[in-house]
Amino acid sequence: MRLKKASILFVCLVMIFSLLAACSKSSSPGSTQNTQTGSTSSSGGSSSDSGSSDSGGSSGGASGSGETPRNETLYINGLQWGAPTNFNLLSGNPAFPINYGNSRELVYETLFMINMLDGNLEPLLGTSYNWVDDLTLKIELHPEAKWNDGTPFTSEDVVYTYKLGQRYEINWTSYWDYIQDVVAEDAHTVTIKMKPDNPNRLVVLESIELIPMLPKHIWEAIEEKAGYDLAAIRREPNDNPVGTGPYKLYFYNDQKITLIRDDNYWGQVLFGKLPAPKYITHNIYKDNAAGDLAFKNGEVDVSQQFIPQVWKMWEDGAPIKTYLSEAPYYLPGSMPSIFFNTTVPGLDNPDVRRAIAMAIDYAKIAELAMSGYSAPMKPSLLLDTPAENKFIDQDAIKPLQWTTDVDAANKLLDSIGAERGKDGIRVLNGVRLGPYEIECPYGWSDWNAALEIVAQSAKAIGIEIRTKFPEAPVWTNDLQTGKFDIIMNTPAGNVTPANPWSRARTIMYSKGVAPIGEMAFWNWGRYKNERADEIIEKIPTVSDAEAKALYTELTQIWLKDVPSVPLMYRPWVFYTVNESVWKGFPVDGDGSNIPPQIAMDGAGVKALYQISSQ
Amino acid sequence: MNAYTKYFVKKAGWYLATLIVALMLNFLLPRLIEGNPVSTIASQVSQGMTDSDSIKRVYENFAREFGIDKPLIVQFGIYLKNLLTGDLGTSFGLYPRKVSDILGSAVPWTVGLQLPAILVGWILGNVLGAVAAYRKGVFDKVLFPVALFINSIPFFTLAIMMLYLFGITLKWFPISGGYDYQMVPNLSLEFIWSVIRHHTLPFLSIVLVTIGGQAIGMREMAIYELNSDYVLYSKLLGIRDSRVARYVFRNAMLPQITGLALSLGTMIGGSLICEIVFSYPGIGTWLFTAIRQLDYPLISGCTLLIAVTVLLANFTVEIIYGIVDPRIKAAQMEEG
Repeated sequence: MRLKKASILFVCLVMIFSLLAACSKSSSPGSTQNTQTGSTSSSGGSSSDSGSSDSGGSSGGASGSGETPRNETLYINGLQWGAPTNFNLLSGNPAFPINYGNSRELVYETLFMINMLDGNLEPLLGTSYNWVDDLTLKIELHPEAKWNDGTPFTSEDVVYTYKLGQRYEINWTSYWDYIQDVVAEDAHTVTIKMKPDNPNRLVVLESIELIPMLPKHIWEAIEEKAGYDLAAIRREPNDNPVGTGPYKLYFYNDQKITLIRDDNYWGQVLFGKLPAPKYITHNIYKDNAAGDLAFKNGEVDVSQQFIPQVWKMWEDGAPIKTYLSEAPYYLPGSMPSIFFNTTVPGLDNPDVRRAIAMAIDYAKIAELAMSGYSAPMKPSLLLDTPAENKFIDQDAIKPLQWTTDVDAANKLLDSIGAERGKDGIRVLNGVRLGPYEIECPYGWSDWNAALEIVAQSAKAIGIEIRTKFPEAPVWTNDLQTGKFDIIMNTPAGNVTPANPWSRARTIMYSKGVAPIGEMAFWNWGRYKNERADEIIEKIPTVSDAEAKALYTELTQIWLKDVPSVPLMYRPWVFYTVNESVWKGFPVDGDGSNIPPQIAMDGAGVKALYQISSQ
Repeated sequence: MNAYTKYFVKKAGWYLATLIVALMLNFLLPRLIEGNPVSTIASQVSQGMTDSDSIKRVYENFAREFGIDKPLIVQFGIYLKNLLTGDLGTSFGLYPRKVSDILGSAVPWTVGLQLPAILVGWILGNVLGAVAAYRKGVFDKVLFPVALFINSIPFFTLAIMMLYLFGITLKWFPISGGYDYQMVPNLSLEFIWSVIRHHTLPFLSIVLVTIGGQAIGMREMAIYELNSDYVLYSKLLGIRDSRVARYVFRNAMLPQITGLALSLGTMIGGSLICEIVFSYPGIGTWLFTAIRQLDYPLISGCTLLIAVTVLLANFTVEIIYGIVDPRIKAAQMEEG
């Protein structure tokens, strides 16, 4: 008995030690934090920001705790989920505020700032741009501009940044499909020359408001250290980024990222003063609910989160505002849509696709999935905003636009000879209409809800649609390889000079789209229409007036063929502000023409000069 | 070679073979899930690109960097080679973090949750079970069905019910995470208190289930022992009840202790559901995230850790049994 007792004790001890050995191999003291499994509860939106991950708890900056005075700090949430990984623009998953795609002007700046209200490009590092001939864009740079390490910003930096995209496969590489060369004419003048065989003004204009400018003197050294190998460059954490912007990185850990104002910011000559907040802190929350609660309590000033029933936040008197004071509260920026696989029997028929489009209850989707933040659906390739409306003749497309009308959808299906079988599901030329699978990633709750409504709606017209919510990597794979019947995705969601062209291209352009089974990166349903291809190729080379006729014709084709159906309007960024500390945020109708680009993207950054705290 | 060495070598051989099979499955199974593992990172890098060829090159670059463009057998070779040098690879989903770092940060949470919970549950369960068997009567009639009930509820249901009742409805405990999200881990009382509060609910859920299982087992064993000849004989000899009870308890403990040893060995993998329900930052939650993101290296890393600890626990128990239990040795010698 004694022996057994002893041996049992021994077993336990051995076990514990073997465990400890297993742990201590990799765990260093103090690095025990982590959590954050990236709960993808909300959806879509700016996936570029949802970087994810978890560093070993490193923290940058000089100060110990990162405490900053409340009335000098602007708090923001909803752009960073999970601990910061790196601040390297080329890494693919940089942490706030480094970003590609939203023109975030805090640390790095773009040449011009996009204003989503009117689509105009406003001067920043560049003072003016003009087309000197059909193929050449000339850009004047601000002579006062300098990097936050004191080095002047010159045309060499612009050329260098553009050409990084020529040397490596990075976000702005594809501009080089249209650009032949970027030349420094003198220290403050740059010309962009387009390829004579593939010119595209829209895309070039997009590049001047989208590409964040990187300092040549810093990145040349990083390139050299990495042996000019992109994989090695990506591993550079760059946690003291040198930019031209008004803020520098001050402190970060797994809970927040804090920026500090650069009081020598060159832009004082442009804006007349420094931005009001001395610090900008992005709080990293575990999920939407935690972030919303903090926002409501005034711990966060600007929220880029999806807040369900936002009007309830100010009902009890909290000083909370959205850009529009009434529904839909946010400006539309993108159209999450469903794409039909045009090679699937049944769905290859445009009348069937149109019938599905007519059956969908868009009002219910707007209410249930988007909390009412989506204006009534007016199907079109173009958004119903001032920036895009000028490109289309609304009267010409009106007769073709569908609205929710189940009876008409049933009639349409009857007229093409799709008769209901015994189970209530229609059969068209021997093909049973369904079951079709409709797909989007699991956990994107607003999208999941929208697709459930589509499936219900289709049932009413005798088409069987089943929802399928796989994990995101599976969805991406299905989307690209065309392994789907109907799939949801957002075509070209950013507000840029290249939209609505790039949205139309994403939906309809068939050249360069791999066949089913191989990876395609747009036109996932493999839709094909030669006239549409022609128009899409022509639009970037013509004047705005000619473009209007082309967009109208293209939209008519789209309305007839229905390769995709927009389900809702979604804001580019959610912009909700709490004015308990900072006041004077831009709202609709205040005459400032500052767009609701969360006080830091594109022309939205001007909000930082307008707000004040007591 | 004496009988025991033979026994040891034979066992070691078997366990090694099992480990190799486990390694192969760890490697192969995640790769059989369909989907594109580089899509998380590649779609971010290729955001804004409009040219098929360059987007494709981004995917191919990452596939090459992660080594998943090679034939499976070559990948397996590389995996084994890296494993021998202690390199578990780089996570795809949390690129560029090392898998060993992630596991290192997760293991203390898992052990910190499981070890005390198993020990407390085990001790309480056995005491209650023994008392129930010995006392019989009302105590037994109440305890046994309750234990059976708790033990037969699927664990995730129990966990979700507790989460709903104590976390969401009564708000006594936080509902997720290992500590308050806004806190920076440090050695302050405030932080430790936060860890304890987050620890309580998952801890209690495991304790409850362990108590249920252990109490039932202990009760059965004790009843069996109580009815055995030596108890009757002792009683006839007039030995005091307390002394008899001690004999009974000791004998009934044997299988329970084996169970404890094994559950300590399997604890790394044992709390997957608990951690997922309570979003506790341990191995289980990471494994779940990794599977969702098709993060092969992280999946393999988690399952490898689990497999190794389970095998090690079993092996140790068997070896020690060989030493302490002559019956097993005898059986082995007959076979040999």
